[in-house]
Amino acid sequence: MPAVSVRHLAKSYGDKHAVRDVSFDVEKGEVFALLGPNGAGKTTTIEILEGFRDRSGGEVETLGVDPSSRNTQRWLRTRIGVVLQELAVEPYYSVRQVLSRNAGYYPSPRPVAEVIELIGLKEKADERVKTLSGGQQRRLDVGLGIIGNPELLFLDEPTTGLDPSGRRDTWDLIRQLTSLGTTVMLTTHYMDEVEALADRVAVLNNAEIVAAGTPTSIGGRDSSEVTIRFLLPDGATLSDLPVTADSLDQGLVQIRTRDELRLLHELTGWALEHDLALTGLSVVRVTLEDVYLHLTRDATESSEKAVK
Amino acid sequence: MSTAAPATPTTGSFRGLSDARLVGRQVWYEQLSFWLNPLGAIFTLGFSTIFLVLLGALGGNSKTGSGYGAAKLAQYYLGGFVAYAIMAACFTVLAQTLVNRREMGLLKRLRLSPVPTWSLLSAIFLSTMIIALLQVGILLAVGTLGFNDHLPPHGVAFILAIVVGMFSFTALGVGVSTLVPNADASGPMVSIVFFLLLAFSGLYFPIKPGTTLATVSGYFPVRHLITAVLASFNLPPGSNPWAWNDLGVMAIWGAAGVFIALRRWQWAPRRK
Repeated sequence: MPAVSVRHLAKSYGDKHAVRDVSFDVEKGEVFALLGPNGAGKTTTIEILEGFRDRSGGEVETLGVDPSSRNTQRWLRTRIGVVLQELAVEPYYSVRQVLSRNAGYYPSPRPVAEVIELIGLKEKADERVKTLSGGQQRRLDVGLGIIGNPELLFLDEPTTGLDPSGRRDTWDLIRQLTSLGTTVMLTTHYMDEVEALADRVAVLNNAEIVAAGTPTSIGGRDSSEVTIRFLLPDGATLSDLPVTADSLDQGLVQIRTRDELRLLHELTGWALEHDLALTGLSVVRVTLEDVYLHLTRDATESSEKAVK
Repeated sequence: MSTAAPATPTTGSFRGLSDARLVGRQVWYEQLSFWLNPLGAIFTLGFSTIFLVLLGALGGNSKTGSGYGAAKLAQYYLGGFVAYAIMAACFTVLAQTLVNRREMGLLKRLRLSPVPTWSLLSAIFLSTMIIALLQVGILLAVGTLGFNDHLPPHGVAFILAIVVGMFSFTALGVGVSTLVPNADASGPMVSIVFFLLLAFSGLYFPIKPGTTLATVSGYFPVRHLITAVLASFNLPPGSNPWAWNDLGVMAIWGAAGVFIALRRWQWAPRRK
């Protein structure tokens, strides 16, 4: 049984569709990322899965129960953790006090000291929340999300506003949680975050899922063209190369191919044979950001055409 | 360490603190939050006392007049500021607190916890009422010790007026919080309404019954809490301590607050 199962989920406000015909599963123990521009429906989807918002249609199960069911809602909330998009921590409590208070809401919470250690705020445990930096407050926010020892953790843009080291620390924390068996559902705008953490990803645009897969294969990324670049060796011309290439500025040469293994073999063989260096040789597959922009732009354009 | 997942429930089973203990625990944390901001706590508690002391010192020994006869003005102010303390805590402070918490996302976070909604809200209301009662206690102490005021001779009527006032203004505070669109607007919107109503409801000066001002202010709940509390102090002298009419009007306003709150209540920030 998946941790989350969504079939044809719909949510509308009057004529406006916030989410339309969305379907996906999140398997236990995996990190599943929802990507999409602002207003695409990510937070609405997560709020429906948390049981915070009711749906207009479709079937949803979170940890095997309907999150909108009043009968099981309280049980469900003992098993999930939530880190909201907003930084939501009271300013006057100390780190320890606010975590202790929230620990009391759950039947089997994580020990407060363990959470303080996990979020890296041991030195600040007795400091007031209002004296913490934005990044430290965000980490405390994550701490509040995991204090109940959740099976399933919803992270709505958890690293927004963090500096690079704070983001890396949060990633490490998420990796630690998943290694302990926690399932994570994540929304983010950062592609590097998806590549670092997510097992699978779905892209939402205009209230619909436009692509889903692993970060390395989504949108045909794994079978897309590879770009090979290097500086043309001194004394060589484009026509000397064993493969067809384009010339760029400042002696740079570029080749696009789907058969990079064979092409690299030929190219490096030729260079070795002629004792030439391929300075700055790089092999770049299309980035996740390229795929994301392509997916969201194409979907937006096609929906605009449909309207016209 | 993750614990083994329990079997999927068919009912809302929960193995943790009992709901009643959760309320008590939450009230404790609400109080802790209040006292951890000492400046805010002192101003909240001290505002009514400072006003009582200032007005009492300026003319507390004068006769009240305006239908209150020879009663000492300091005694009138004591009753008035007891009513003010209840309104300030249960209406103004509560409404602003709820708006701020909603807009910060704190209400949403609490809503997503396993704690039942009723116990969360009860704890906030109970904590507010504790602060109101604390202010009432301080005012009674300052009035009796500082100005030789007497305590309400009709203790049960006094308690009834306070309890109905607390419930009514708490309900109104919750209702009004749902009308305030954002945290920046909460202070000005709530305070302006409150202080305007206070100004013509007889807090700072007695209003003669039967005047136009008394009639107009009679449509609003502020005047009724003041007169209900004053009645329990036997003001005007010889008045019925059981101010059923005032209590009834407050109850109607309280019901209106509940009605608005039920229709408009929102856990998530409005800014989105």
